[in-house]
Amino acid sequence: MSILKWTAVVLAGGYILASPALAQETISIGHLADYSGATSDVGMPYGQGVADTFEYINENGGINGKKVDIETIDYSYQVPRAIAAYKKWAQRDKVAAIMGWGTADTEALITFVTKDKVPYFSGSYAATLTDPVGDKAERAAPYNFFYGPSYSDAARALVKWAADDWKAKGGEGTPKYVHMGANHPYSNSPKAAAEEYAKELGFEVLPAIQFSLAPADFTAQCLSLKESGADYAFIANTTNSSVSLLKACETVGTDVQFLSNVWGMDEAAAKAAGTAADGVVIPVRTAAVWTDEAPGLAVMKEVAKVSDSSGEQYRPVHYLAGICSALFVRDALKWADENGGIDGENVRKAMYAQADWFPEGTDGVCKPMTWTDTDHRPTAEVSLYQIHVTGQPDNDLNKAIESGAVKMDKIATVELPRRDDWHGH
Amino acid sequence: MLRPSGEFVQSYRLDTQIFRTRNTRYAAVLSLIVLALVPLFAGSYALNLLIQIGYLGIAALGLNLLVGFTGQISIGHAVFFGFGAFASACLNNRLGIPVIFSIPLAALATALVGLVFGLPAARLKGLYLAIATLAAQFILQDFFARAHWFSGGVSGSIAEPITIFGWVADTDEKFFYVLAVFFVLSLLLVTNLLRTRDGRAFVAVRDHYLSAEMMGINLRYYRTLAFGISSFYAGLGGALYAHYLGYVSIEGFDILFSIQFLAMIIIGGLGSVSGSILGTAFMVLLPQVMEWLTAALDGSWIDTTLHLNEGTAFLREMAIGLVIVLFLILEPDGLAHRWRQIKAYWKLYPFSY
Amino acid sequence: MDGHLFLQLMVNGVMVGALYGVVAMCFVLIYKASHVVNFAQGELLLVGAWVCWFFVVKYQLPFYFAFPITLAFMVVLGILIQVVVLRPMIGEPIISVIMATIGLSIFLQALMKWIFGVSAQPFPPVFSKGTIEVLGLQVQTEYAASTLASAVIMAGFAYFFKYSRMGLAMRATSFDQQVAQSLGISVRQVFALSWAISAAVSAVAGVVIGVVNGVSAGLSLYGIKVFPAVILGGLDSIVGGVIGGLVIGILENLAHYVDRQFLNWGNLHEIVPFYVLIIILMVKPYGLFGTRDIERL
Repeated sequence: MSILKWTAVVLAGGYILASPALAQETISIGHLADYSGATSDVGMPYGQGVADTFEYINENGGINGKKVDIETIDYSYQVPRAIAAYKKWAQRDKVAAIMGWGTADTEALITFVTKDKVPYFSGSYAATLTDPVGDKAERAAPYNFFYGPSYSDAARALVKWAADDWKAKGGEGTPKYVHMGANHPYSNSPKAAAEEYAKELGFEVLPAIQFSLAPADFTAQCLSLKESGADYAFIANTTNSSVSLLKACETVGTDVQFLSNVWGMDEAAAKAAGTAADGVVIPVRTAAVWTDEAPGLAVMKEVAKVSDSSGEQYRPVHYLAGICSALFVRDALKWADENGGIDGENVRKAMYAQADWFPEGTDGVCKPMTWTDTDHRPTAEVSLYQIHVTGQPDNDLNKAIESGAVKMDKIATVELPRRDDWHGH
Repeated sequence: MLRPSGEFVQSYRLDTQIFRTRNTRYAAVLSLIVLALVPLFAGSYALNLLIQIGYLGIAALGLNLLVGFTGQISIGHAVFFGFGAFASACLNNRLGIPVIFSIPLAALATALVGLVFGLPAARLKGLYLAIATLAAQFILQDFFARAHWFSGGVSGSIAEPITIFGWVADTDEKFFYVLAVFFVLSLLLVTNLLRTRDGRAFVAVRDHYLSAEMMGINLRYYRTLAFGISSFYAGLGGALYAHYLGYVSIEGFDILFSIQFLAMIIIGGLGSVSGSILGTAFMVLLPQVMEWLTAALDGSWIDTTLHLNEGTAFLREMAIGLVIVLFLILEPDGLAHRWRQIKAYWKLYPFSY
Repeated sequence: MDGHLFLQLMVNGVMVGALYGVVAMCFVLIYKASHVVNFAQGELLLVGAWVCWFFVVKYQLPFYFAFPITLAFMVVLGILIQVVVLRPMIGEPIISVIMATIGLSIFLQALMKWIFGVSAQPFPPVFSKGTIEVLGLQVQTEYAASTLASAVIMAGFAYFFKYSRMGLAMRATSFDQQVAQSLGISVRQVFALSWAISAAVSAVAGVVIGVVNGVSAGLSLYGIKVFPAVILGGLDSIVGGVIGGLVIGILENLAHYVDRQFLNWGNLHEIVPFYVLIIILMVKPYGLFGTRDIERL
């Protein structure tokens, strides 16, 4: 046995000696994306945003001169593939951070990343994974980070806006609020939080209406919605499913103000839904959208040239969010490099190093965020945009935006209190 | 079936031996030793793939018992896998049963559920049965999302790592050994089952159920029993999966996963124990190999001239579909058959007859 | 008020059910002719919808022109699938054939995502009048038209199988392939034809759903949804498929009504068809109209 062990040690030693020769110059990052699976409708723009940003970083000097070696793996939203990818990165590449994606992979990997101390920058904003200590939520998630308001906070902001809107419109009686979504971890994530808050603000909360994450015929749901007399409906699914729902509801003739989850709407979905999407209010993670004016957008446009050299293609909100998440990681890597070297623990410390910070050069686009070692809710401020669609938008998103057929208007910025009883829920 | 010369079977007992020659016995012992040494050499990536092959292989073994040996099609194997995962987590979390016991208990519970959904099997055959299992797929999936007391509802449940007298299998290496024990035991049990009276009855039911019935085999009993046993292994695989991951989510036990199980056994070879494992390995490794290929393609001249970009992801998915179709057209009897042919080729070389 | 909602849901049930019926019919057609259980039926809808969308949006062809081209394309595709994938599989066990169609569905889905992208795309409306009212329910004109079209397709199928030469040949083949062959019927042609018709008719359903809901990968789910309908009717009965589709469509809406009014469980409408399926199979193992095999030694 001892001989075998020695052989193993020698072999392992050889392996370790052989690999770092290259690794000194580069920083390894893993990137899980869903380009071909169940959530590809929003996974595609977000993943492209992340991938383009790291290529842009490399073209512009890398991290303090070090190149980022990023491997993008499309895991098709299948957990086993995500785990396999993770093991490869954790062992072979010793990645400094992972750009993650959905609810499925984040929840599956959370135990591993905590054990291996690998910061995980997720695209899943579940409030249950915002507690690094573990006394507020069921599970401690000290290495899970995300950019933007949590699903719950975004939904609360929408509820707050709805309450103000009801007053502003001079509505009489108690307004009615209804949650619409699939019985799925992602869709259900903000349900309880928003419903509780709606009750607090004097809404009557109606029983939730379920519709599947896969697009189908949702006429029955819309008839129920119409009959229920709801005034505000929260759509908790992803874009393709939302499009089907909005179209069916337009046909049925519901008179409801729709509010949507972060991943439930974007410009492309608004174009696909046509006038059915007119008036939907969505939380946007960035302080500006592609056609707005902001100094930081110049960087975004440079990043976009990586995958579209003309630079003229319109990029939806999810692409911008992808860029911002990746740039936060860039700055965290820089800080870690200057303060003790790049490894998982230092990258985590980098996230805590400043308060209310945003990546360099992104003024007016990436919103300032704060992470602390007791609270991973990055922000309590939520920008709300309203979608306006007039007529039949052109099928080309660029033209649809140019002609003004699809428009995004900022209507409010809701400042939520950082309530302790909301942490982890 | 080729047998080495000088090997004469003199009794039925000898005929049903698992390791018939001395060499196969040596090979078995040797492979056990190799198995024990794997974690010392394999990195965690390779180890993870082996672990995946392990727990999926156990479940695929169960499915092959049902489909390959009794000829009943099931399109709902993934939910039984999921049921085992949730059941074990639930038994451990709620009742405090140690994980090492909750895993087999969960497998038993899954077997019971399998028996319930197997009841239509007493009356149905072929496709109608296949569709009944499809119904089980959707009904149980809905149950997972709804039964908060059992699965933790949509937020899923935490599964503690396996602990044996204070020894915690919380690393891949340690888990590998636990899994290896379960894996080898399952292989032995299934192989053994097939040479018993029940095992022969299963095959008889598959080959000609009317003749089987005439020979006094109780069709209903064996058909339902096959469901139970198949679900047992699915549950066992699922429970191991749960405690490996540390967390079970309701996502993932969907029809696509069930279909992957079917692909494993068809590609491996229906009615073959080794085929189940080979097929599982194939289905686990295929996306990885495709990943390497697409990674190699990424940024190469093919990529840049054709402007593939994210297209490589779809090419990979297409290739997976295509490989399955091509495999069925070119090698309909599965990998196990090919393996036997290769063995025969070497044995007979240079005389191919 | 509730009575009104109930009526509307029933109308919706009939319309959705008619579409299920059409898809079920296509499924049964393939099964009846060649004993292939087609798990790629939903993908045929998907391909049909995308191809039509492509002609209408990218080539700016008028719908009345693009639609027949789509059908022609689907006929060719159907024959191609049969010849390339399924012909070599003749004589293989049923489960291998099932797996081949599953492989096909994975392939087609990825191909569609690659060519046409991952986000839902809108179809320009076909009729100038967007919605019409049917018994108090506002429905899109295309939907209402599709119900009519479904009825026409069903009548067409009935005529085809009863009177046309090819239809009779198909029935003969499904009854007994060897006997049919010995009577001079080209079984290969029959198989190819069944795929061609099935693909084209599925495309009709795909286009309708695409126009109403937008075209996206979700269309392929209709292939799974149709199983309860097919089993309810009996795997080898075309009339059964149609009736099964209607029943499932109505049942889904009925379940939704009961759910909303009394239970508030949420997704009863998704799951009820499968409970019904189990019950039907326990009571009538060969569906309502399926042929009961009587086997002899």
